[in-house]
This record gives sequence, C-alpha cells and structure tokens, in this order.
Amino acid sequence: MEFTLLGAALTGAFGAWLGLRLPAVRKRAASIERPWDVLVGAAAIGVFSGRVFEMIISGVNPLTNPFDIILVRGGVDTVAASVAALATLVWMFRSDLGALDVLAPAALLGLAGWHAGCLWTGSCLGTATGYDWGFTLPGSTIPRHATELYAAAALGVLAVVLTRPQRPFTATGLALASAGAVRAATQPMRPSLTGGPFWAYLGAVVIGLAIVAIGRMPRRGQPGVSRVR
Amino acid sequence: MRSRLILSILAFGLVLGACTDPDAQPSAGALPVTDSEEFQELLADSESPMVVNLWASWCIPCRSEAPLLTEAHRQLGGEVRFIGVATEDSQVDAEAFVAEFSMTFENYFDRTGEVKAWIGSLGLPTTFFVAPGGEIVSTVFGVIDERRIALEIDELLRR
Repeated sequence: MEFTLLGAALTGAFGAWLGLRLPAVRKRAASIERPWDVLVGAAAIGVFSGRVFEMIISGVNPLTNPFDIILVRGGVDTVAASVAALATLVWMFRSDLGALDVLAPAALLGLAGWHAGCLWTGSCLGTATGYDWGFTLPGSTIPRHATELYAAAALGVLAVVLTRPQRPFTATGLALASAGAVRAATQPMRPSLTGGPFWAYLGAVVIGLAIVAIGRMPRRGQPGVSRVR
Repeated sequence: MRSRLILSILAFGLVLGACTDPDAQPSAGALPVTDSEEFQELLADSESPMVVNLWASWCIPCRSEAPLLTEAHRQLGGEVRFIGVATEDSQVDAEAFVAEFSMTFENYFDRTGEVKAWIGSLGLPTTFFVAPGGEIVSTVFGVIDERRIALEIDELLRR
C-alpha cells in the first residue's frame, strides 16, 4: 500500500459519501440505517486488519509494537483488507443481503476515492511509458503512467453504471468483479518488487461473476423450477 | 462468555507472539564501523547505483521496512547496491537487528552519528537513492513502501 492512510481515507470516504448521493442510490439507500457509517466502518476494519496482517507476515509483533499499526505506509495487505471489509459488510447485512446491492456503487466510488488519494502524497505515477500522456516525477525526464488515476477513473465510471437497477446480487457481484478487474488491469503499470497479489485480483473477478450467476438463478416457485418434496 | 473472550485474546496474543523471534542472535560477523569520510569515499567509488538506508534497532518504522529492503536486495541486488547504516544505536543491538531480519546486504555501524549528519538525515529511517559516483538523486524520509522503492530504483536505473 503506497499512500499514507489519512489522504487516501479522506478521499475514499468522500467517494463513498458522493456515491450515496447519486440519485439512483439515494432513493434506495433511504431504507438502510446509516449507510455511510456502515461503509466507512467496514473500510476502517479492512484497513486495520490488512495492516495487522502485513505486520505479522513481516515479522513485526502487533502486541509488542502497537504504534506500528498506524504506520500504514509500512504496508497494508490488500487481500486481507478486502476480505475483512467484505466480511464486515456481509455480517452487518446478514439478515438482508440485498442491501449490499444498494451500497455496491457507493463502495466502488469509495474505492475510486482511495486510489485518487494518491494526489495527496504524489504517488499516482507508475511504470515508464512512451505515450504522450505520461507524467514525470519532479526532477525527472521519464514519462510515467498515472496508474492510480486510471484506476480511480475506471472505478468511478463502473460505479455510475452499477446504479442502474439490476437483478438481486448483480450489482454486488459486478462491483466485486470490477474492483478485481481494474486492479488486475492496472497492476502491470505499478512499479513492484513482487508483482502484487495478481491471482487474488483475478479470484475477485471469478467470485464476483459467480455471485452474479447465483443472483440470476431462478428462485423456488418461479417458472422453470420444480419443487421437490 | 467473558472467560471465553479472555481466552480468545490470550490465544490470539500467543499466536502473534510466535510470529517473531525475540531470541534472534547477532550474526557471526560484526558490523563494520564507518565514519563520514570513509562513507563518502565508499559512495564516490561505487560504480553501481545505490540505495542507502539509515536505521536503528529501536526505531519501529525501521522494523517495518527491514523485510522489504531485504526482499528488494534479493531481487535487485545484481543491479543496485544496497547499503544499510545503523546509527544512534549500540553495536550489539544493531547486529541483533541484522540477524533478526536476515539482512543480507552490506551494513555499517555509524558509531558517532557523523554519517547521519553528513548525509543529511533528519530522522530515522531515511532512504537515499544514490547515482554511481555518489550523487544523491532522491531522499525518502520516514518509512518507505514497496511501490516507492521500486519506483525510485527504476528512476535510478533509467538515468
């Protein structure tokens, strides 16, 4: 994870707030109690979990070095953070999982805001490019991809598309698949030592599409489904 | 219910405690002592680009980035020279730190703190990206992340 927490968290929270104010979302979100609090809470739990996980795998004991938890630039495990945030959302809406469809576009806009948080810390640029639209680091002459801004723009567009009414769980599944696909597509443009958890991003796409397929399966009592006694 | 919660917290703590090695012993080789003059020469004589990291064993952010620097050296050590400088520290603690994180790149001990003063480090950790010949190209104050280290090394190699 490449940003300080504060800048990315602020733009991420702003993105989620903006997402909840999209006309199509606002109307449906009225039935959910404090949706913005839920989204921000899930994101905070995700970042915290991802940071603790990263500390453990780096050999730093969170109990003996508790202040290290706030050093988010030291690393947040993306996969652990995403799983924790999603698990929190599922737990919060366990009695009404359909509410996830309402929040999905706002969550995606929040993620777009998190990526756009690179503007606060000057960490938007990625690998070198020969294209004219490349940006250079201060004092450098090497044009580079504005990788995080590409990701933010793609997620923003997908979030707006997902506000259109869908079948149950379609928006949730597509949001997860979109997040994974955008991350996988932009990953080669991020300077990295390890290549990042590329397979986890593809895994998110597969799981997201599986959720969409499950949402499209006919329910009991609907035409085409036989009842088994 | 409460006893279950306490037991769970204790079990979690034990698992976390097992993740680090508090008994890590110093490596057999002692950390070579350096001063500003020697260190300046070392940078000037280098024909490879360098990543110079100033650290101390008591510095919590340094603990966060130590595994990253070791991994970066493992992957890019053929193209870039990684140099660690332990400063404002005791030599025994610094050697234990090197052993604990299995830091495989060259490390020196700045006994008097003059290397830190000469190179212009304001605090710890600080990472300098240095061109062959000793010109400091960029400086990262505070903990460095994987993305930034990969980006700065890419800049160094493309100069």
